[in-house]
Amino acid sequence: MMERRLNAELWDKMHYLFRDFNDRMVHVELNYDFVPDIEALKTVIICAFEKVPVLRSKFVDTKLSTHWEVKPYVIDDILTVAYPENVEEAVEEFLTQYIAPDADNQMEIALFIKDGKSTLCIVENHMCMDGGDLKYFLQAFCENYTKYVQEGVSPVEFRTGSRAYNDVYSGFSKTESGVAQRLFKNINARDNHKFPLTPNNIVDKSFIARRKFSEDTLAKLKPKGKELGATVNELLLAAYFYSVYELAGFPSSDKLMISSAIDLRRHMDSVEDKGFTNHTSWMQCAIPERGRDIFETIKYVVRSSTRFKKDKFMGLYGLPLLNFGYSVMPHAASEEIIKIGYSNPYMAMSNIGILNGQQLALDGHEPTDAFMSGAVKYKPFVLLTATTYKNVITLSMCVRGNDEDKKIVNKFFDLMEKNVKTIIGE
Amino acid sequence: MKDFIEYIEKSCESLPDNHTAYLYKKEILDEMIDRANEVTHSGLKDEKVLADLMADEYPNLEGNYYAWAKEYKKKQHAKIMRLASVVGCVLTFFISLILFFVIGENATFTYYGYNDDVLGLHTVSAYRNAWLIILGAIFGIIIFCLGFGIKRICKMRRVFHPIARAMIVLCVMIIMVFAFLCALMLSTNPLETKMWPIVIAGIILALVADICFAFATKQKFRTITTMIYMPIISTMVFVILNAYGLVGSFGGLVIISGLIVDVIYALILVASNAKYFIYKQEDDE
Repeated sequence: MMERRLNAELWDKMHYLFRDFNDRMVHVELNYDFVPDIEALKTVIICAFEKVPVLRSKFVDTKLSTHWEVKPYVIDDILTVAYPENVEEAVEEFLTQYIAPDADNQMEIALFIKDGKSTLCIVENHMCMDGGDLKYFLQAFCENYTKYVQEGVSPVEFRTGSRAYNDVYSGFSKTESGVAQRLFKNINARDNHKFPLTPNNIVDKSFIARRKFSEDTLAKLKPKGKELGATVNELLLAAYFYSVYELAGFPSSDKLMISSAIDLRRHMDSVEDKGFTNHTSWMQCAIPERGRDIFETIKYVVRSSTRFKKDKFMGLYGLPLLNFGYSVMPHAASEEIIKIGYSNPYMAMSNIGILNGQQLALDGHEPTDAFMSGAVKYKPFVLLTATTYKNVITLSMCVRGNDEDKKIVNKFFDLMEKNVKTIIGE
Repeated sequence: MKDFIEYIEKSCESLPDNHTAYLYKKEILDEMIDRANEVTHSGLKDEKVLADLMADEYPNLEGNYYAWAKEYKKKQHAKIMRLASVVGCVLTFFISLILFFVIGENATFTYYGYNDDVLGLHTVSAYRNAWLIILGAIFGIIIFCLGFGIKRICKMRRVFHPIARAMIVLCVMIIMVFAFLCALMLSTNPLETKMWPIVIAGIILALVADICFAFATKQKFRTITTMIYMPIISTMVFVILNAYGLVGSFGGLVIISGLIVDVIYALILVASNAKYFIYKQEDDE
C-alpha cells in the first residue's frame, strides 16, 4: 500500500511543542458493573481507528516540516485485556503511561476485569484531540458498541472531516472572520507564582491525584453560584485561587493568575462535519489580590472572566501569529521563535464538564463511575482538571513528582474542600 | 470480495457499460481489496462490518465516476502530450540544424561595421548569423521544458513554489537574452545602435512576471515582494531611458517613482484592510 500522510495541523504542532511542559496524555477511566463483549469491543475499536486515522499514525518531525504517517496496526497492540488482582494499581499504572509522538498508535485502551466488573481505561495523545472531542469520541464509541451488540449495526458512525485550526472561524461572518484572522496580538501574560511543588528529581514518577466532592456539594454550589452571579466553574476557580494562596503562602496583596481552558468550538457553526482535533485555548484569569475572604476572591474571578467572556473573539488571539510562525519557517526554527513568545501558564485549570452516563452506557450499562483528566504536567507546571459525573465533581491533578509532591497535592485538595465548603456555607 | 463486487455493481448500475467504467470499477475493487486486507490484518473478523466499513470509505461511487473519468482522460491526454513533446523537441532541433545549413550556405548578410579591420559596408555569408537558428531552437526547447516543470511544480506543495518562480525568471531572461543576441547580430549598423538595454528590460520583465505569478498563486509575502521590486524596476527604467537619452532633467523623478508607487500601494492596502483592524480587545484592568 502507498504510504498515507495526514497534515500536521496547527494545534498538533503546538501540543508537540508542549513536550517541555507535559506528557501530552489525556486519561479516561470508565467503571462498569458488567464485562463488555471483548470481541465486539475490538470490532468497535478497529472501526474507530479506521475512521479516525490520526489515532494510528506516527508524528514525523523532519525539522523542516511535520506530518502524520498512517501506520498499520494490530488490535492486540491497542487493546489490553487483563484480570489484575489489584485493579486500582493496574489502572494507575496504565493511565500514567506515555505514548511517544513517533509511536505507531496514539491511543491505548485497556479493559481490567475483576469479579464481574470492568474498568475501561483510555490514554490518548493530546496532539490528536482535546478533552472536548475525546468526550464526543467516547460517546460515539459507546453508542456504536451498544448498537452493534444490540442491533448488529456496523459501528462506523464516527465523525470525520477537517482538523484545521481555522475551522474555528466558521461561525463568523466574512468581516468578523477577517477581523479574527488578523488578531496577531500575543496575549500571553507571565505570572511567576508557582504551585509549591518540590524541585525536579530524577526519581520523579507520574501520578494522578484525585478528590471527589459529594453529590451534595454540586447541588449546593449551583444555587450559591446563582446568588453570587458566578458559574460553578468560577466558584471552583476562586477556590483554586484561594487554596493556592493558602498552600504556597503568597502574600495576600500579590496579583495572581490562573489560566482556564476554553473550548473554541463555541465560535463554530457546527462540528458535525469536522474531524477529531484540538480547539482549546486559555482564558487568563487574573485577580489583583487574594481578597479578605473567599467571597471577595469570587468577585475578582467573576470580574476577570466576565471581561474575557464579553470579548467576541475570546481565545482567538495569537492564533494567526502562531499560524504565520509555523508557515513561513522550517519547523525547527519556528518552534524556537514561538518558544520565545509563548509562556506556558504555571497554574491552569480545565473543566471538562459533565460526563453523561446515558451516553457512556455500554449495552445499556451506565458507568458506575467515570473520570477524565488532562496531561501529566512537569514541575513546576500544574493543571487542575474537573469532571462531573452523576453530580459528583472529581478534581484531579496529574503530576510527575514524588511522594512529597503527592502530599502537597493532597493538602491542596484538602484546602479546596475546605474553601468549597465555606462557599456553600457548611 | 463478493460483497465488494456486489456493492460496486449496485452503486454503479446507471454508469455506461464501457471500458472507462470498467477501469473505474476495477480500480475501486482493487483499492477496496487492499484496504480490506489491511483492516483484516488489524484483527477485524466480522465480514459484515468489514463490508460496511469499506462501503463507508467508498461512498457515492456513481457520483465520483464522472470526476474520475475526467481525470483519467486528462492523464491519457497528458501521456500523449508527453510523447508528442519529446518527438517535437527532437524534430525542432533537427529542423533548426537543417535550416542552419540551408540558410548559411545560400544566403548572405550585409552590414555596416568592421570586417578584417576595415570599416565599411560588408556582405558576408549568412553562416555568420545562422547559428542563431540553432540557439533559438535550443532556447525554445529549454523554455518548453521549463514550462512543463513550472506547471508540475504549481500542483505541488507551496514549499516548492519558489523553484517555479525561479524557473519563470529564467524563462524570461532566456527570451530576452536571445532577443538581445538577435538584435546584436541582425542589426545592419551595430556600432550606432545600443542593444544592452534589452537585457535590462529582461530583468524588469522577469520581476513583473514574478509579481504576476505571486499574485496569481497567492504566494506569501507577495505584497512585500512587490514593494521591494518597485524601486528596482523604476531604477532599471531610468537606466533604459537614460541609455536612449530620454530622461532629461527628470531622471531622479523616475527613480523616486518606484517609492511613490510603493507608498500609494501601501496606503491602498491599509485603507482596504482598515475595517479588519478597528476591533480593540477590552483591557483586563
